Amino acid sequence: MTDFTIVLRSLSLRRFSTTVTVTMVAVSVALLLVLLAMRDAGRAAFRRGTGNAHLLVSADTSPLVAVLNGMFYANAPSQPINWAAYMKIREAFPWSWTIPTQLGDSFRGSPVMATSKEFFTSFEPVLGQPWTFVAGKAFEAPYEAVVGAEAARMHGLKVGSELVLAHGMGTASGAAAHEHEDHPVEVVGILAPTGSAHDRAIFTSLETSWCVHAEESRLKEANAANPGEDDHGHLHVDPEDLRDSEKLITGILLRVPTRPGEQVSSALPVAFDLLRRQFPFTVAQPAQQVGRLFEIVSGVDTLFIAMAVAVMVAGALSVMLALYNSMDLRRRQVAILRVLGASQGRVFGLVLAESAIIGLLGSGLGIALAAVFGTVASAELQRRVGLVIDPSMDLRTIVLCTAAATFLACAAGIVPALRAYRTAVVQGLRPLG
Amino acid sequence: MNALAIHGLELVRPGGFRLSIPSLSLSQGEQALLVAPSGGGKSTLLHLIAGLEDPDAGSIAIADMPISSLRGAARDAFRGASIGMVFQTFNLLHGFSAIENLTVAMMFSSVPATTHDARARALLSELGIDRPEQAVETMSVGQQQRVAVARALACRPTLVLADEPTASLDPANAATAIGLLQRACRDHGAALLCTSHDPSLREHFSRVIDLGTVEAAR
Repeated sequence: MTDFTIVLRSLSLRRFSTTVTVTMVAVSVALLLVLLAMRDAGRAAFRRGTGNAHLLVSADTSPLVAVLNGMFYANAPSQPINWAAYMKIREAFPWSWTIPTQLGDSFRGSPVMATSKEFFTSFEPVLGQPWTFVAGKAFEAPYEAVVGAEAARMHGLKVGSELVLAHGMGTASGAAAHEHEDHPVEVVGILAPTGSAHDRAIFTSLETSWCVHAEESRLKEANAANPGEDDHGHLHVDPEDLRDSEKLITGILLRVPTRPGEQVSSALPVAFDLLRRQFPFTVAQPAQQVGRLFEIVSGVDTLFIAMAVAVMVAGALSVMLALYNSMDLRRRQVAILRVLGASQGRVFGLVLAESAIIGLLGSGLGIALAAVFGTVASAELQRRVGLVIDPSMDLRTIVLCTAAATFLACAAGIVPALRAYRTAVVQGLRPLG
Repeated sequence: MNALAIHGLELVRPGGFRLSIPSLSLSQGEQALLVAPSGGGKSTLLHLIAGLEDPDAGSIAIADMPISSLRGAARDAFRGASIGMVFQTFNLLHGFSAIENLTVAMMFSSVPATTHDARARALLSELGIDRPEQAVETMSVGQQQRVAVARALACRPTLVLADEPTASLDPANAATAIGLLQRACRDHGAALLCTSHDPSLREHFSRVIDLGTVEAAR
């Protein structure tokens, strides 16, 4: 027989109360862990997504919206940029590289981005980590596609799969406005996971998108011009037949030259000013906009964390109430232990140990719950917002939360432990009632 | 060496209760019955001897150790090692088995931990408990009483204090229970001070201490 056995027996005697109290602590620990994990993972996912692009140009209304649309696939930008404007921007500064992008189509809810080959050779989705292919290669011809890791997993795509893209960003249910069923696209490459929003996207060449949309708009024009004829169904447009007005993009990723091994450049403010002064588009520094986004949400962030801490304190109070109320029933047990030779300090320690065990058990269960909640929340975030985040908790946070929960439970145990300490032995030995 | 030695004990409580014992002693292994009318201070005296209450004056020594001068944890430890107690309502730890009730008692004694289990089993067997793992609250009254006696003896006490141990039993069972308690204490060399307001128990004890005339019983 040990003190620990006495503590465990005492807890099991009040099984219901112990279970409720442990659950309360577990929920509060899980809530705090999930919020912390999601906050950190969310920030990491946003930071990773901007990659090595210094600037983003789009026709969106604000730099933040431009970044959310152009790099995190929140929505299709509402206004296009014509090819001539892109060419002017390209020539306006000695860029390290420029990559035109176009958003607007989707495949079963996954965004489709049309871009150039440089997207895979020059752009790094995560700073210092270029794209890698787990299968296949980058597209080289029209009607070829490269699929992000998460999109491939979600839709079960592999090299050789055929996709029918749909007009509009669509939804996960696949309820897009219009499908380009005459132009299936063949998957030629599958990308390795990057932990960024790009993982859930599908990439095609600009020519693919331009030709598909050009054929459809020309067909529409032909049908409108000659409503009686019905032989315009097989209108075909090759890349070389494209008109300048059909070469539309929605964004441009840019990088200014830097010294080898460096990510920042003194040329960036100059390039930024130049674009803002000379072109009627929105110019965003993606890393800066992500920082701004964090500033905007940090208040809500703090509020959520404060709420989780409040729930944790409520959990500790429930430990105190459960133990304090049990002291009425345990008056006799404490008195008997005292008669048998247990000191006041030892009885105090036994009650405190009970609260510590409740804290530890609650923390353990909370960590398990947090792992489940985190996975569910991560999947839901991905489904609703498209943000690919890793909800894993770091060891330091787990240890800190466990220590905090145990400390709070111990602190909550002090009042009932004092009550046990002060139990009058002689009164405690008298029959109840 | 006396198992119990009391000198000049005085206790006054609000409401007019007064306990005054100029001198009282029990030799080692001696058994005595302490009688007094209800409210006469029998239980209070046992609590004073066990160090659960403090007298206003006087001294109480168990095996020459003045328990009344010990304080806090030292007094608790001494009680756990030297005094066994049996109560009218047994005061066993519910939720614990018979053997656990004994091993808990031995946790606070000087009995080596490695012998707790064997000693507890031997005591229970000696007192006729054949299912030591049974939870005490599921036992009959008679079995619970035996477990209470075994627990009182588990710590190898110098003195066993029994507070109305037969009050809830009929006369036939009371005689059996007191016989069991006396025999167990005798077998283990512990002195016994038993309180009762039941006059039929007098015949079981060679020494009867009437608290009302404690001067005469000295």
